[in-house]
Amino acid sequence: MNWLSLIVSLFLTGIAGYFIARIKPSLGAWIAMAASCAALLLVLLGGDALPGGPAWGLIRFEVTPLGWFFSLLIILVFSTNGIGSLAAKGRQHREPVYTMLYLFALAASLGVFAAENWLALFIFWEIAVWSSTFAIGLGNGRKGSVSYFGMSLLGSLMMLFAILAMGSAYQTFQIREALTTALQNPGPALMVFILMLGSSMVKLGIMPFHIWMPPAYTEAPDEFAPALAGGLSKLGAFTAFLVSAYLPISGFMGGSWRVKGLPALSYGLVLLASASIVFGTLMAIRQEDAKKLLAYSSAANGGYIIIGILMGTSMSVSGALVHLLAHALATTTAFSVLAVIVRQTGTSRMDALGGLAHRMPLTFLAFLTAILSLVGLPPMLGFVSKWLILQSLASQGLFLPAAAVVFGSIGSMLYAFRILSTVFLGQLKPRHRALQESSPGVLLSLAILSGATMGLGVYPSGLIQYTAKIEASLGMSETVQTAGLSIRGINGNLNALLIMGAFLIGMVIAGAIFFKAPRSRKVDLMDTYTAGEFIYSPELYHYGTQFAAPFERIYEKLPSISRVYAALASLTDDLGNLVKYLFFSPMPSRTALWISVVTILLIWGEVL
Amino acid sequence: MIAYQSIGTALGMALFAWLMQTGLSGVDRKITARIQKRRGPVWYQNFRDVFKLLNKRSVTHGWIFDLGLLIALAGAIGTAMFMPMAGIIPLQGYDNFFMITYLAALGVFGRALSAGASGNPLAAIGVMRGLTQNIGYKLPYMVLVIVLINYYKTSSISGIAALQQVQGWSVLKMPLGVLVAFISLHGMLGKKPFDTYLAPSEVASGPMVEFGGKYLGLLNIAHEIAVFVEISLFVNLFLGGGATLAEFLLKYMAVYLLSSCLGAVMGRLRVEQVVRFYYKVPIGLTILQVLLFTLLYGGVS
Repeated sequence: MNWLSLIVSLFLTGIAGYFIARIKPSLGAWIAMAASCAALLLVLLGGDALPGGPAWGLIRFEVTPLGWFFSLLIILVFSTNGIGSLAAKGRQHREPVYTMLYLFALAASLGVFAAENWLALFIFWEIAVWSSTFAIGLGNGRKGSVSYFGMSLLGSLMMLFAILAMGSAYQTFQIREALTTALQNPGPALMVFILMLGSSMVKLGIMPFHIWMPPAYTEAPDEFAPALAGGLSKLGAFTAFLVSAYLPISGFMGGSWRVKGLPALSYGLVLLASASIVFGTLMAIRQEDAKKLLAYSSAANGGYIIIGILMGTSMSVSGALVHLLAHALATTTAFSVLAVIVRQTGTSRMDALGGLAHRMPLTFLAFLTAILSLVGLPPMLGFVSKWLILQSLASQGLFLPAAAVVFGSIGSMLYAFRILSTVFLGQLKPRHRALQESSPGVLLSLAILSGATMGLGVYPSGLIQYTAKIEASLGMSETVQTAGLSIRGINGNLNALLIMGAFLIGMVIAGAIFFKAPRSRKVDLMDTYTAGEFIYSPELYHYGTQFAAPFERIYEKLPSISRVYAALASLTDDLGNLVKYLFFSPMPSRTALWISVVTILLIWGEVL
Repeated sequence: MIAYQSIGTALGMALFAWLMQTGLSGVDRKITARIQKRRGPVWYQNFRDVFKLLNKRSVTHGWIFDLGLLIALAGAIGTAMFMPMAGIIPLQGYDNFFMITYLAALGVFGRALSAGASGNPLAAIGVMRGLTQNIGYKLPYMVLVIVLINYYKTSSISGIAALQQVQGWSVLKMPLGVLVAFISLHGMLGKKPFDTYLAPSEVASGPMVEFGGKYLGLLNIAHEIAVFVEISLFVNLFLGGGATLAEFLLKYMAVYLLSSCLGAVMGRLRVEQVVRFYYKVPIGLTILQVLLFTLLYGGVS
């Protein structure tokens, strides 16, 4: 088995899935699930030694440790989401197309991660963008796919321009060769770097390119949102890693101004990513819709990844890789859980929910794992990545980005608690009393994802060693170090197992006191202290709307970037109307006017 | 490998943390009472309270209510197990600042989880207020500590404390920063004027509204251990730790009782006022301090 045949068979399965699902729609989800699980098995067993396969014109594959890591990540997301989507019902009419697009998006992403040259990468990148655009469009609404496609187009154009510039200047499209040649020429190198990083930032949803995320995540079909948020948006990080490894800013702007040891350009971009963290966090806090909240939190988390990549130290790059995985696992879990909730209740508005943990306890536990990882608390994987990134920020003395990261971490407690408290805790609404626990398929996929989040959070050494291998393969002189069970930082060590041990000892002591004390009596949720009020309606007894109102009031006048885009759109619209008014008018007099103007100009040109 | 002896020391540290801080909070009650011209309870009243509460029957609002509380206490005990104190370093080499802060945050999250699961909206409002304030005081505090970590080139708490024994206390290097850190600490301890999330007359003790009997007892234990962690961090990071245990404890008591006395003579701010205050004064002072520090000490190479 090689990479080429893996991708081709995924594409073919997608086409076959289309026809089979047309005959029997319920088989579509099974085919998507089986194909992605088979791919997972192949990539896992084959490891990064899997051969790329024969060249097929420009389409040539080469499996690198970085590409393998990303491939494993995306297949894990797609296969677990495939298992979880088996229970999804009520999409009979779109099942054939959905199955095909799902597998196309997966196959194309695998193509991106193993492409040997930029053109192949771009072709697969576009297939992934187009498949996901149409897949988003299968949901409810048009705005999501339009803004996704619009922003992706911007990103693709930036990338294409950079690729063609490198191709025409250096006569090569080979990924590493093109970038390392560009490194020798400061002029084009700057342009290529900015364009390439720009296209990654669009995909990762970094401010000011984040506007596609909230509508796309909200309107995409519920079973596609996990794949989009957890998997496909990570395509951007892949090219960011490639570009900053082979075309480092310090390489072509080494002699220029430096801030705290970083070239001024890197520092500026790090500040942009920091702004994305702060902005994403603030916006996430004031959302009323759970999916939008997670979308803005993704914009914030993209910031951590970009900061890690741009700092370029062994710890920060490893932190970015781990954060990528942690965020993928956590968002896939969170969106899968929301899919279950939306299927059962018909809404993802947080104030319309509440107390669901009492109806679906296992789903709640999975969601709790994801939320803890998003906040970055031990013993979850999100803690390991935040630790690595914060350690490297502290040792480099980048105080402003460090403040943004700290703000993002603490601020995430507020929105993370909000989503937990308003959706799963608090009062259960009477109309939700008949809700069911998720189906076994969903629970299995949630168990895999949460197990990975917690397992890797407690025992990250293997993962860290693999990130060290990636760093070595990218040509970094220093790689992140592990010693036994602990990660060795520049100014401190982390032993995640020890932390878990201390926590468990605490749990044993707490449990011993708890169970030694007299047993307590279980009371109903409504049986609470109401400060003398008489309240009988659970709907009114749930704190969910405008959750952090005192905090939101401070920044209610925060300018919105989408207004800038809207202004730009209306300007373009006006310009178009002007052109239409002047040149495409049905009035003969205006046409005659232009004919005479053009004639005069022609004669003038001849005479002069 | 971590020796069993270290784990024993770590557990001893957690037990000591609880005993000392519970006793000290009794003294605090006495002092507050005297400031307010009352006699106040005996200093060991808090021990009596906890044991009485643990022996009382109570009501529960479901398994998440129980689980959250266990996470809260486990987080607090786990954090205290790592805390170094005047040369006594329970788990040598692993007393990392970021680790301790995030593990302590797990305890806070557990408390919030339990409060949210009670189904009482007053508890949810209290948690929201607490977490909002948390953004206010943790941000300047952590930025200042990151500056210190960068300066001392270590994020080990005992390492930073030991370096201060040689190079002089951090308070001399960043006086403004220590002022900010103290204001933050005052907020973290939930003392007036920053106790909006407890506000008995507005939100009926906020997160604690549904806790009674053994739940309140466990919460009390978790709270006292968390207070120990917060004050010890402050003493270790800014006041040079202690060459001897007596020195450390003296500084500890001074900080705690200063905070108590200030709390005893102040009124409560409204939640908006707290948030605005934190975003103006401490953050402004932090920016000034970081600039000054970078200018004076180079901070970074």
